[in-house]
Amino acid sequence: MPATRKRGRHAQGLLFVLPYLPFLLLFGILPMLYALYLAVTSDTGALVGIDNFTRTIRDYRFVPAFEHILIYTSVWLVSLVVLVVGLALLLHGRAGRVTSGFRFLFYIPGALAGASAVLVWLFMLDPSVSPGSSLLRLSGAHLFVESIAPGRLPFVFAMIAFWTGAGGWIVVMYGALNTIPPDLEEAARIDGAGPITIALRLKLPLIRKWVAYMVILSFATGTQLFIEPQLVNEASLGLVPDTWSSNQLAYQLAFRYGDFNGAAAVSVDLIVIGLIAALIIVRRTGLFRTEE
Amino acid sequence: MRFFRRLSTPRSVSRRLGRTMLAGLTVLAMVTVAACGGGSPKAAPSQDSKELTVWVDAARLPVAQAYVKEHPNVHVNVVTFDGDGNGATTLQTKIQLWNRTGSGWPDVIFSEQVNDPVWMAQKPFEFAAPLTNLIPADVLSQWPAPSTAQCTINGTQYCVQDNLAQSVLWVNKKLMTQFGYATPTTWQQWAALGTKVATEHPGYIVGNIGDSFSHWIYLWGNQCPLQQLNGDKLLINPADAHCTRVAGLIDPLIKNGAVPPLSVFTPDFARKYGGAKDKVLMMPGPSWYAQALFDQTLHIPAGQITATAPLQWESETPVTTGQVGGGPWIIAKHSHNLKGAADFVVWATTVFNPTGKDARPGYPAYAPLADPWLKGLASSGYFAADPAPALKAAAGQIWTGWNLVSYPDQPVWSNTVVNQLVSGKSLSSRLQPFGDALAQAAQASGYTVTRQ
Amino acid sequence: MRLVTHGVRLLILAVFAVFFVVPIVWLILAPTKSDEALVTHGPFAFGSLHNVALAWQHLDAFSDHIYRAWIGNSLGYALGATAIVLVTAIPAGYGLALSDFPGRKLLLTLTLIVMIMPAATLVLPIFLELNWLHLIGNALSVILPFSFFPFGVYLAYIYYATALPRDLLDAARIDGCGEWSAFRHIALPLARPVIALVFFFSFVSDWNNFFLPYAVLADSTQYPIQVGLSNLLSSTPSFNPAVGGGGQQVGIFRPELALATLLAIVPVAIVFLASQRALVRGLVTGAVKE
Repeated sequence: MPATRKRGRHAQGLLFVLPYLPFLLLFGILPMLYALYLAVTSDTGALVGIDNFTRTIRDYRFVPAFEHILIYTSVWLVSLVVLVVGLALLLHGRAGRVTSGFRFLFYIPGALAGASAVLVWLFMLDPSVSPGSSLLRLSGAHLFVESIAPGRLPFVFAMIAFWTGAGGWIVVMYGALNTIPPDLEEAARIDGAGPITIALRLKLPLIRKWVAYMVILSFATGTQLFIEPQLVNEASLGLVPDTWSSNQLAYQLAFRYGDFNGAAAVSVDLIVIGLIAALIIVRRTGLFRTEE
Repeated sequence: MRFFRRLSTPRSVSRRLGRTMLAGLTVLAMVTVAACGGGSPKAAPSQDSKELTVWVDAARLPVAQAYVKEHPNVHVNVVTFDGDGNGATTLQTKIQLWNRTGSGWPDVIFSEQVNDPVWMAQKPFEFAAPLTNLIPADVLSQWPAPSTAQCTINGTQYCVQDNLAQSVLWVNKKLMTQFGYATPTTWQQWAALGTKVATEHPGYIVGNIGDSFSHWIYLWGNQCPLQQLNGDKLLINPADAHCTRVAGLIDPLIKNGAVPPLSVFTPDFARKYGGAKDKVLMMPGPSWYAQALFDQTLHIPAGQITATAPLQWESETPVTTGQVGGGPWIIAKHSHNLKGAADFVVWATTVFNPTGKDARPGYPAYAPLADPWLKGLASSGYFAADPAPALKAAAGQIWTGWNLVSYPDQPVWSNTVVNQLVSGKSLSSRLQPFGDALAQAAQASGYTVTRQ
Repeated sequence: MRLVTHGVRLLILAVFAVFFVVPIVWLILAPTKSDEALVTHGPFAFGSLHNVALAWQHLDAFSDHIYRAWIGNSLGYALGATAIVLVTAIPAGYGLALSDFPGRKLLLTLTLIVMIMPAATLVLPIFLELNWLHLIGNALSVILPFSFFPFGVYLAYIYYATALPRDLLDAARIDGCGEWSAFRHIALPLARPVIALVFFFSFVSDWNNFFLPYAVLADSTQYPIQVGLSNLLSSTPSFNPAVGGGGQQVGIFRPELALATLLAIVPVAIVFLASQRALVRGLVTGAVKE
């Protein structure tokens, strides 16, 4: 390819990205830099280095909150990835009306975000009125307060988060699976591969980038858990603390105490964790590499 | 161009997509024009002295609307919000943002969180205006002393309460007569009755202790010093006799089921004790239980419930009781129309008092309005007997040794005590951890805590 | 053997479908019952349509028909922002995936980093920016931040990076197509699935977003439905005892809340069904044959 042509392509590529840039700058990069600035300054604007970090780590709610999200993220991430990929592969087995019906059913809870779900989950978690009361009682909870006992919370939140979030990711994975040319599948079937082999050996590796993307984002979403504990806090009229997760703690620091610097420090802690995970995943799956 | 012919999507599709993008851009353009056209923000702070911006919750909207009607020459901008109730941080969030941009403050705010004025009056929020020069002293003196004390932070009064939430003893007269019980007047009689009920009529209850505010009923009312400001020090002493003796009294009742550690607002409570089951024999609770709890949540039929005076501890005087709420009105320090704001607050608390189903929500804190309101309450036909004497007496009996603080203590109670009561622990065993957790929360909010 | 695997597959899908759908069924049946019946009757008991009509009356009467305004606002914010998102994110994904310019990796990295920033700390700087632009209280204060949708950019990027073979574009260029022409005539038509994906993810994300509108909007008549629902929640005595006593005037109880929630799901369901049709298999079929 002639050198002039290649250079032309460089500039042209940038042109496509241009409309996106002002938004990225205004609502992404600048606020992020401001948050970083807040994390290393005091409320008067003086530079204080890692003061905010050490101060927030010593807050009596900090360590419990991080313990909580560690347990939560492990439970949540594993179940999400396994079940989402599994269900998407199952759905993709045979396209048609049935699968689009299932897709709709899986997805529709995603429309119940935050405040909308408070009422629903109050009733779902109360063994006296819940449709799943037999399951709740089997697990040992006979009262509402028992089903939201502290030890159960990571699992309760993981269940709620899965219920609202899985559908969307299933749709994305299904769309990803659709980009696989059907001839490949045909060829494998002709070669005698069973449906499970096709799913695991053929389809799964081909949607690697999408799964990587899902893992990165879900790890971040998991560690930044906010909505589920907040909504159970509201449904239970405060029985579940409003600083259960680290993100909730950051929010409380910012808005209840006016300590934006502390909140920024906790947020930076969360971003760093998310970035480390992202880095590992990007490296190992080549997410940034385009087709060679 | 031979590859183009191979595509499964014809040119028409790309044309359609082109048109879609054009449509999208048109929508964008229209939206932009609409947004810029109606550009001026609706809730601007009052620039001239005839303007007023008032923030109210849904239940107080009728007050604001009535004021607008009665004062046609004042331009009032009424904004409804969530009332900052139930532990929300709406007002902290908003005030932070307003402070940082230097504009946007309303003139008057009604809050459902009774401790909001405490942090509003102090750094870093510094939002509330002192009322001493805004409302005449002879008007302010008509609020019951405990109410004024609650609104006084560091010696200055920053709010007036709209309504009181004094705790009384709610009694199911029908059941009491049916079982042949006498209405208790002391905590000891109440406890004895509870024990009796547990054996004679198991399943019936004389109270509950699982709400996020139950400590305000049982501990505050009995003078337990868990939130007592002495100068600039906060006393949190759960080992005090006033606390331990209450725990000792209630523990057997929690154990035998007469005072379950459940919240009255969850469905399982309503199923077990409300409606047709009708198993609430008695319940110490705030004045607003009348409609919000018994009628609307538990659906207990009319002609059964009444209120009696707060319980006394043995023969100790004065009789004290607790409070569960009671929303304050706050005027903004930054208001450009302080006079108008004060006028609004005074009108809303001292004049507005319709009758019938449009009646004020909640027992009026301004004493002269209480009598007509109580008459309206009695004539509603819901009560078995007139609850007015009990409510009136209790209004002045709220213990002033429990001060409001800038941090919410209800979640601490729920998390350290209620959780454990449900798993079978006793209240006495949870008092110390409760005190410790309160101390932590207090210190995180900047208080100096003393433990005895 | 085929039949067994087919049956097992259906069984697993059905079990999960039940898990996802049961709370929704409960929600659909809830407005048919009175507040008392909600607690005393079974979760799947059907009340009466009359109760639904009553619930709607109370809901509509709340704060002078503000519910309708909330739905209208949500539609305006979501559609307006999504229009901008489509115009910015799809070309951006294309550019990032299929050309190599300096800063490409940097943009990808920055987009990813920004996506994983917790929202709590971003609200203050965004609020300050909007204030500087004199947009506070304006609908644009919600639409413009919503128009920044890095998730959509990444969806487009991954789609173009994996599903569109470079040979196709190279062939077009050999044939004399300019860059913009190649995008318009090849890349864009083939992107129907990802356009549909980005459209409804952006729409739903804007529809469900609570915190930004909560922080920047002062007037409750400008609220989107999520913030409005939380207002409604605070006006329900069983969720907010502090409002106690006012419930009778305000008239919002659990059936009204359930109805409000249910109606708020409908636009999302419609958008989902509409965009699902574009998620068709094999759109790139035959494009690179021979």
